[in-house]
Amino acid sequence: MDQNQYLTFQLAGEEYAVGILRVKEIIAYGPLTTVPQAPPALRGVINLRGSVVPVIDLAVKFGLPASPLTNRTCIVILELDLNGEPTVIGIVTDAVDQVIELLDDDILPVPAFGIQARMDFLRGMGKAGAKFVLILEIEKVLTAAVSNNGAASASEPARFVAGANATIAYDEKA
Amino acid sequence: MEIDLDKILQTYAAESAEHLSKMEEALVALEADPEDDRLLEAIFRGAHTIKGNSASLGFSKLAGFAHAFEDILQRLRSQAVPVNRSRITLLLRAVDAMRQLVPQAVAGRDELAPGYMALLDELTNGGSTAQGNSTASTPPKNSVNDKTVLRRRDETQAWGEKKGTVRVDTARLDRMLNLAGEIAVAQGRLHQALPPRGISGEEAWEAHEQVERLTLGLQEEIMKLRMLSLGPTFRHYLRTVRDVAQAHGKVARLELEGEEIEVDVSVVEHLKDPLMHMIRNAIDHGIESAAQRQALGKDPCGHLTLKACHEGGNIVIQMIDDGAGLDRGRIIERARRMKILSEPEKLADSELFRLIFEPGFSTAAAVTDLSGRGVGMDVVRRNIEALRGSVAIESQLGLGTTITICLPLTLAIIEGFGVGVGNETYVLPLHAVVECLQMPSDANPHGGQGVIELRGEPLPYVRLRDWFQLPRANPRRENIVVVEVDQSRAGLAVDSLYGARQTVIKPLGKQFESLPGIAGSAILGNGRVALILDVAGLVRAVMRAHRGVLEPSRDLPALVQGFGGPSVTECR
Repeated sequence: MDQNQYLTFQLAGEEYAVGILRVKEIIAYGPLTTVPQAPPALRGVINLRGSVVPVIDLAVKFGLPASPLTNRTCIVILELDLNGEPTVIGIVTDAVDQVIELLDDDILPVPAFGIQARMDFLRGMGKAGAKFVLILEIEKVLTAAVSNNGAASASEPARFVAGANATIAYDEKA
Repeated sequence: MEIDLDKILQTYAAESAEHLSKMEEALVALEADPEDDRLLEAIFRGAHTIKGNSASLGFSKLAGFAHAFEDILQRLRSQAVPVNRSRITLLLRAVDAMRQLVPQAVAGRDELAPGYMALLDELTNGGSTAQGNSTASTPPKNSVNDKTVLRRRDETQAWGEKKGTVRVDTARLDRMLNLAGEIAVAQGRLHQALPPRGISGEEAWEAHEQVERLTLGLQEEIMKLRMLSLGPTFRHYLRTVRDVAQAHGKVARLELEGEEIEVDVSVVEHLKDPLMHMIRNAIDHGIESAAQRQALGKDPCGHLTLKACHEGGNIVIQMIDDGAGLDRGRIIERARRMKILSEPEKLADSELFRLIFEPGFSTAAAVTDLSGRGVGMDVVRRNIEALRGSVAIESQLGLGTTITICLPLTLAIIEGFGVGVGNETYVLPLHAVVECLQMPSDANPHGGQGVIELRGEPLPYVRLRDWFQLPRANPRRENIVVVEVDQSRAGLAVDSLYGARQTVIKPLGKQFESLPGIAGSAILGNGRVALILDVAGLVRAVMRAHRGVLEPSRDLPALVQGFGGPSVTECR
């Protein structure tokens, strides 16, 4: 039952959806700590009851300008399985809408053009009443390669790899 | 009434493991001090308890085994037979056996496999003869080797202390409980004193200060929960040294110093392998055979000392042996053959000896089962460096070798020094900070880097605001934090200094691994996240960015020295 439920939210003028089972909580946007020299899509980190959680701007991941901050901006905290390890991350949303139910029949393939996000980031288009929502394959988005301007590209080695390793190894080759 | 059999069995297993560990320690101590009756009593009591518990749980075979053990102890107590090496060895083997038999019985198999039956026979007979025919039924030599010893320890760990758990002193728990209670009371005072009820602002402030003090106290106690004393870990090695020495046909004893030193639980776990390797190496290659030692005028029994102490923000662990020491000539020859360096004889002792840690490096003439392949010391160095520590060797030919490990006191908590840069707060590990000073008023306010004069010497500094590309805030008077990296000093120019406090390190995740200069994160008192800077990494990145290209000839000595990570002289 639960796996047919999705949380819908707005981002860069489009309506997206993510499976409810991955959503841990939704919090108001607050002051972030920026991380110097981090990829542009990484807005910063926040303190979530003692855990340090990275916050990602998907708009930047999609190659769009950074999301503007309004009083409706929220952070959706997700718990994902990235490369076999459970990871908690937050994504910036312009506004959070509601929880809807989509059965397999309601999910249509993504059109060949007209959508800003990359095709492999989307599982499909869900029909919710009269509207369409873009269902995100959130793990794919986060493990995609990131190029220098922050937009996702296929060629460069991926830097966004999940894990909970406490010690940071200093990379001599950097 | 349902009896929870599982719980009873688990308690029995954990307690038996503890008894067996104590018996093992006492046996090794007894060998060194055969006259000590209290040791005999302790061992007897342990065996007696295990026998009783096993019998009441219906483990008759196990109880029978313990009974045979008890019998020998009885004969020793009544001095019908003397304490000697082979008898101690037999009893130690029996302890090992029981370590296997207890979990086996708990799992439902109270039986004695043929190997154990043979051991039981020995126990029943071997106690009466002076030497015992231990040679006849002694397991072949290579089974009494380090692999067995390692395995035994791992298994007892499984029953004694579950992974991811710690044993806590009840006194500590009581203190925490008291603090929590007092915090509740102080909060009540605050509640009364605040408007609209309370009138006096002073009352409210006092109550608030009390709550603050108590909360800090509670926080400290909780952080200390993670600390374990090194004693239990070190004491395990008392027997290891004895056994490994015996396996190599040598005699050696271990002495311990600094058992009461406390270290974070994660550090303890990571120390076990390196210590094991170091002991093996010391006994295999360092300590000479009893005959050789006697010929040299040394005590035929080799001495190993394991020492621990606090120094600065670190814990220093030393393994000292009075064996043959490192042969400089052999190392030079080996370095030449391995083509590591072109002129190894030019290196000072301290750097030359560091070559021991190179993978594949071994000057051993013969390769024994586990030493001599040049594997062990490489593992030691890698493990220690993974803990942000360093290893160094000192040695004198003919007199012995000392290996010194320097580790940060805890992986989870550091003394942090807060600095403000732009709108952000960063934390520097306090032990990296040498001093702080105000930026001289005549210093160039522009540019990301500069040089100032500090007591007659030039001090290069980098503006963190520029290095981190933070928005340009209005710079009031700046401050410089002087740090030492690779034995040279550098300055970090920041806006404000916030002072030192204990900081809990929070992991950042693999995404942040490739960022030079960031070592982790911490949560500030205002709830915000502050990044912990990897001072050495940061300064090196600045140096490289400045230099552009790596210069091979000048960097080689640094590379050789860099094997051990941060210089050991930092710890002294």
